[in-house]
Amino acid sequence: MYTIKLDNITKSFNDFTAVDQLSLKVPNGSIYGFIGPNGSGKTTTIRMIMNIFYPDSGSIEVFGEPRTDTHTDRIGYLPEERGLYKKMKVRELLKFYSELKTGRAKLDEIDRWLEKMDLSDWANKKVDTLSKGMSQKVQFIATVASKPDLIILDEPFSGLDPVNTDNLLTAMLDLQKQGATIIFSTHDMATAEKVCDYIFMIHKGKKVLDGTLDNIQNKYGTDTLKIRCENKAVGLESIKNVEHVHDFGQIQELRLTPDSDHQIILKEIMKSNQLLSFEIMKPSLHDIFVRIAGAQENSNV
Amino acid sequence: MYKVFRLALREYVAAVKTKGFIIGLVMLPIFMSGSIIAMALLKDHVDTRERHIIVIDETHQLGQVLVDAAEQRNSSEIFDAETGEQNQPKYLIELQEAEPDLMTQMSRLSERIRNAEIHAFLFIGESAVHPSSNPEKAQVNYHSESAALDDVRSWLRDPINNQLRRLRLEDAGINESQIPDLFAWSWIDAKGLLTVDEDGNIIDAVASNELQSIAVPLIMVMLMFMMSMMGAMPQLSAVMEEKTQRIVEVILGSITPFQFMLGKILGGLAVALTSTLIYVGGGVLFMQYRGFEAFIPYDILPWFFVNLVILLFMLGALMTSLGSVANDAKDAQSLSFPAMFPMMIPMFVMFPVLKEPLSTFATWLSLIPPFTPMVMILRLASPVTIPAWQPWAGLVGVIIFTLLVVWGGARIFRAAILMQGVPLKFSNIMRWMTKG
Repeated sequence: MYTIKLDNITKSFNDFTAVDQLSLKVPNGSIYGFIGPNGSGKTTTIRMIMNIFYPDSGSIEVFGEPRTDTHTDRIGYLPEERGLYKKMKVRELLKFYSELKTGRAKLDEIDRWLEKMDLSDWANKKVDTLSKGMSQKVQFIATVASKPDLIILDEPFSGLDPVNTDNLLTAMLDLQKQGATIIFSTHDMATAEKVCDYIFMIHKGKKVLDGTLDNIQNKYGTDTLKIRCENKAVGLESIKNVEHVHDFGQIQELRLTPDSDHQIILKEIMKSNQLLSFEIMKPSLHDIFVRIAGAQENSNV
Repeated sequence: MYKVFRLALREYVAAVKTKGFIIGLVMLPIFMSGSIIAMALLKDHVDTRERHIIVIDETHQLGQVLVDAAEQRNSSEIFDAETGEQNQPKYLIELQEAEPDLMTQMSRLSERIRNAEIHAFLFIGESAVHPSSNPEKAQVNYHSESAALDDVRSWLRDPINNQLRRLRLEDAGINESQIPDLFAWSWIDAKGLLTVDEDGNIIDAVASNELQSIAVPLIMVMLMFMMSMMGAMPQLSAVMEEKTQRIVEVILGSITPFQFMLGKILGGLAVALTSTLIYVGGGVLFMQYRGFEAFIPYDILPWFFVNLVILLFMLGALMTSLGSVANDAKDAQSLSFPAMFPMMIPMFVMFPVLKEPLSTFATWLSLIPPFTPMVMILRLASPVTIPAWQPWAGLVGVIIFTLLVVWGGARIFRAAILMQGVPLKFSNIMRWMTKG
């Protein structure tokens, strides 16, 4: 049922608690997005799932069993920091990683992925001749070429152009269709919204969000008003029941207090602005992220 | 274990397939024995310019003998026997009377040496023939730019001392011709111990020479040192580089930190053993070809390889764990000196141990685990017979110690390998080792 079960895991480094009593269940075959600000504990959580770090307390189950080193062969891992042997040739390197993972190289699978990622012409070139984006794709292939049941990708899209980002997303969805469970961490909220079945947000080591996008958004209700005015909108901050205004230039997003009346607020806006369009909507994942992370940052200040 | 061997294979291939390995294989012994090779090559390249030496002889009984001896030498001893070409410099001895102000005279001669007008000057005090009559005036001093290493000074020793003996015998009323071989030297030949074969026959001792006494143990220990430098030392910077280039975490996605460390150690070990087999194999063939087979210590070779493998394992664990602690090349450099400690101490004490392999100092040092592999081989390869239990005791001790180093190193490695920017402190290393 669940590929991963984290039960109250905690990890500290000296006096700093990186992950604090975290519990999480990742269903089989799902795509689970890990989001959170820098230094929030995403990578530490992933490293504990990978058995690279041991939790100080709590337990980790993978594939329905307590986590041991034997599970590593069924997990593909793309770390946040990319690292490849620069003097090795691409195909030779992928063969090495594949052998290290499963004991034998799946050359057909490697060649299929090289073709899929438009890297066939680079198969016999040394890694240090590749661009950053190409290196990233090679590392992705190294992660998935052994056909793992669980794929963990730490910031897989950083440094990729939109075309390659789309290629990678397509590849991830294909892998999900083939039955793989995928966890990936990202700062790209739009991507997370598009592909994740579940989203988990960690902040200062604690879980602050967990569920489907709909569930998360429903918690906040339709508290967002997106408007577009003839000229630059004015006087929005002073309108009663408007908590926050996010001005994108051409459009403005207004966060409203709970149970506020949208009609009254629209009338107030129109008193001093020529309204062209408006939309009453749920908050975006980006907005939710900023609300949580920003609020806690401000409370610290 | 497959993963460990696969990683070790990558390390091995990455090291051996490079031109640097081949060049290193050739250059390492050349660097190590460079001065000996240079001396051999330059043996015939002697400066044959004439050596002009002033002699101030206050005894007035030695100077002319030196002039005659130099002429004798110049006429017969400075030419190549086969080609007839001059291969040694001529010595030209010029006698000069001592002046009342001797210091001024010698100062003037010193200046002439500095101006390259003469090569050296020799002062013979007036009591040189009978030193006991006035020891202060009996000295014989040789002055030149590099007096201690000067060949002329060595050459002067025989004619001066032979003449002094003749003069003293004459003063005692003894005629030299009455005592044959008066000045013949007796050399004391170095011999080993007699042995008894299986049939009970006593076999005479063979001559013990410098090759057997010094060269064989030295070569073995130098080879261990070189192989440690080749197989274990590079692990420190290699692990540091893989840590800083973030390769480690990718690898740790497939294997455990301990397997990673073990793979690195075995890779380095394989590289060093490949080189060792080439050097030892080449050395044995060369010795057999040149007729020196009797000097090949076949009985020591198994001990040599066992101790080498353990030394490389111990140093490999030490280097990989220290490499995991280092954040940059500067850290790696500062860690490399203490890491070389187990190799450097045996190198420092090589000659005292070789001179007295059975001394308390040599025995105890060979039983202290970090130094055991090199010091025990030094003692085993020396001509003396060390008690049979000692190599075995040393082996057990060093195996236990190596396992402890691997255990402690693995704990440090696991904790430190993904830490970036943590200051290099002894307290941190100890904490990682004790608490993991």
